[in-house]
Amino acid sequence: MSSLDPRRLVLRNDVAELQRLAGWIEGFAQHGISSDVSFAVQLCLEEAVANIIMYGAARDERLEIAVELERNGATLVARIEDNGRQFDPTRAPPPVVATSLEKAKVGDLGIHLMRSFASGMDYERREGRNRLTLRFIESTSPAPE
Amino acid sequence: MVSPFRREAITAMTAGAGADGPSHRCCMDLSAEDLPGGITKVVLQGRFDTTGAVVMELPFNKIVTERRKIIVDLSAVNFLASYGIRVLLVGAKIVKSKGGNLVILCPDNNVAKVLKTAGMDALIPIHQTETAAAAALTS
Repeated sequence: MSSLDPRRLVLRNDVAELQRLAGWIEGFAQHGISSDVSFAVQLCLEEAVANIIMYGAARDERLEIAVELERNGATLVARIEDNGRQFDPTRAPPPVVATSLEKAKVGDLGIHLMRSFASGMDYERREGRNRLTLRFIESTSPAPE
Repeated sequence: MVSPFRREAITAMTAGAGADGPSHRCCMDLSAEDLPGGITKVVLQGRFDTTGAVVMELPFNKIVTERRKIIVDLSAVNFLASYGIRVLLVGAKIVKSKGGNLVILCPDNNVAKVLKTAGMDALIPIHQTETAAAAALTS
């Protein structure tokens, strides 16, 4: 089983940091990660970190958001840790299915996308910090035509 | 009276720092052109993430408030996050509220998967060719 050293990026709660996150993931994904898993990691980390940046802090509070990526064989593990207000995305209710465009609610899709594109998602609150772990599993079967 | 777009392009481009990996550029383009039948085609290009969506929101909303038949070409969008979906959904709702329609053209595989997972394919029609998209707007 191959294993790369974990890589860690620390971000501030500033929307401009999302670009830095995207570039960092792109660099990690160049090390033998499939395009499907790379897309899923980019999407889930974008959603998770954007949520912390936009809703995790009280007014003017500075947050530290640490992101780690680690690959173990066919599994890629992403950990996101922040010192913002307590929030467990695994307990968020699923979005309401809209029956028409007029009735469709705007928003509340980020966590649903994370649940759908990650293979697993776990949360714990420890020592005043949110710790979210996302797992992505490389498919061993050939990509469909 | 609504002025014709003929062809209008808006580009938002910013460069990211390279200290944590390869230099990353976040770039998104929007262009709009008039097609026969009173249809406006909006071509989006780049990464429709939070950063791109924040920048595209105003020019996109301007178009959807002025036009009634809109094709949004996503064939050159390589990434879509929830804020991008939000911009598309708000746009489609605005057009619908004015008696018009907005359809999506040719998203790539991963972008189509995001749209489907979010349930957008049931709310905003998705077409694979411009001919089919235009026909849906003029039927």
